[in-house]
Amino acid sequence: MINQSFRPTRRQFLAGTCAAAAAPYVIPSSALGDDDRPAASERIVMGGIGIGNQGRGDLGAFLGRSDVQYVAVCDVRKGVREAAKGRVDGRYQNSDCKAYNDFRELLGRDDIDAVHIATPDHWHAIILVDACRNNKDVYCQKPECLTLAEGPKMVAAARRYARVVSGGSQRVLEDYRDVVNKCWSGEIGPVKEINVDVGPLSQLCYLPAEPVPDGMDWEMWLGPAPWAPYNKARCDGNFSTRGGSWRSYLDYSGGGMTDWGAHHFGGATFAVDVRDLQPVEVVYHADNGRRWLTYRYPNGILIHHNQPNTGNLHVVGTPGETRPPKTVPSYAGQGGIHGDFIHCCKTREKPFRDIDRAINTMVLPLMGIVAYQLERSLKWDAAKQEFPGDAEANRFLDRARREPWVL
Amino acid sequence: MKLHEVTRLAAATGPAVLAGSAVVAAEPPKVDPAELDKAFETLKTFDWGSDPKTLSAIEQAVVATQGDPAGSTALERRLVAALGSDISRAAKDYVCRMLRTMGTADSVPVLAAMLPNRDLSHMARYALERIPATEAGTALREALAKTDGALKVGLIQSLGARGDATATPALTGLLDDSDAATVIAAATALGAIGTLQAAKALTGAVAKAPGAAKSAVIDACFRCAERLLADGKRGDAVAVYKSFTGEDQPKHVRLAATRGLLRQ
Repeated sequence: MINQSFRPTRRQFLAGTCAAAAAPYVIPSSALGDDDRPAASERIVMGGIGIGNQGRGDLGAFLGRSDVQYVAVCDVRKGVREAAKGRVDGRYQNSDCKAYNDFRELLGRDDIDAVHIATPDHWHAIILVDACRNNKDVYCQKPECLTLAEGPKMVAAARRYARVVSGGSQRVLEDYRDVVNKCWSGEIGPVKEINVDVGPLSQLCYLPAEPVPDGMDWEMWLGPAPWAPYNKARCDGNFSTRGGSWRSYLDYSGGGMTDWGAHHFGGATFAVDVRDLQPVEVVYHADNGRRWLTYRYPNGILIHHNQPNTGNLHVVGTPGETRPPKTVPSYAGQGGIHGDFIHCCKTREKPFRDIDRAINTMVLPLMGIVAYQLERSLKWDAAKQEFPGDAEANRFLDRARREPWVL
Repeated sequence: MKLHEVTRLAAATGPAVLAGSAVVAAEPPKVDPAELDKAFETLKTFDWGSDPKTLSAIEQAVVATQGDPAGSTALERRLVAALGSDISRAAKDYVCRMLRTMGTADSVPVLAAMLPNRDLSHMARYALERIPATEAGTALREALAKTDGALKVGLIQSLGARGDATATPALTGLLDDSDAATVIAAATALGAIGTLQAAKALTGAVAKAPGAAKSAVIDACFRCAERLLADGKRGDAVAVYKSFTGEDQPKHVRLAATRGLLRQ
């Protein structure tokens, strides 16, 4: 069960420091800060959960910042977490970074202000909600959720405890600037529709059993997902969505539909400015053997998925009409999406990729997966977060989690 | 006229036409009975390492029998029979995934029998949790008394996911359990159920909750309060929030309670 006996709390640490202050003591400049580095009290104390692949990149982005003090890493692979600890300790020239196998131990530390999460997707919601409950700000890699039912719980936890929670797609702002500028400048008039090309869907996985490598906590890797034997291709963190990676299999991912979809759908909703909305329906098309979708928003805007004869983020405006320009929003602070998150941790503003907007994006691919699975169109009630009057579709809202994990 | 042309036309004329056009134009899925028989035969020897594509006719049949009660019942009977037979864990995993999407009360007995089995309990819940029939909830509640440890935690989680208010007395009793994981699960389930009865049980359990479960119990109280507010029961929600404004509460809990009071 949860080990509550690991590290001193911040209060305990400070109490100890005060007691020691009676004796002569030299306070290092690194604690007071200098021109290049804020004082320790001004730094955001961080830990990382899931630190291979994408998590390694996030760790590097936060570790390189002078206004962050990185103190803990967590991964269910011993080699990965020890390498990450070595990297952090090397940065600070000490051996202070703690390495955990169980994220609950890291989240139980009250000296940590914020965490970043880059586990496989089936873990995101459980860890994020637990982090909010434990008073942590959160930077969560995309795709932020695996099921439609998870998203609202993540948003609710963030709001309940007033945490800064950022989604993890940097591409939403950075990759589609031409399309975004075209739409926000008003030059193509009122925007009517946009297309997203992305795929494939994730698949069932019945790969054969292989020996579990030393140092791999396989039960913890599976966590809330259905039990399955270890196989390297099942859990590999490479970026393929066509087999040989967890991103390919539906117990852990929505496949390319959600993995790259979080970027592309995020870019599309940003470009046509429906970031704060969810669609009211998704229309399933079976067009001469080709399957594609159209999402309709309450304001009439359409987002297509894999529409034939168009390209990714192909946008349709209103020829002959113009519209007053709007200022394109951007990150706050310095250092891209990671800097935006840290800035907001300090100011308590909402980050550019606030969890509410990230989840509004995730609704698109996750609804789409249900439409493709049922091979029909679906209505969506954003207020109730369900397919209204559609018992068959509502079965797909969530999945039972493997014991003992709860959300 | 191709469908995307219909869609473009519909987009200009209104949402009702858009949806209607697409539904009419999309071709209903079809399944070859011989391929379906072959897939069920394959299921008998299916195991880890097998290619799931060899079973795809079953998935196609699940989709094809939407809105076809006779076809759906016949398919469900075959799946239930397979699940009750001596097939591998991997094959049972596959069948439970199918029953999650189309199972009815007819599937409940075979799934309920799997609930006390350590290897099969989760996939039984994988189906039962999403089957709307009341029999599914009854099976989960009845299994509570036959299980302990992690399996019981799983059952509790599924009852919460179903919002099964009839489970409230049983879940309330589990708030006193000596196992912190059981307390966390019971609290989370009661928070999801979100009734006044659940809120009272939860607020009464905060003080005695083990340390590892404390934040989950408090969080469940807040979830109940949010639900009570949404249901217009402001006085009841205020009572929950006020119970967390004391100086004895952690600062972030006091602040969350204060925000709740300001929101009502």
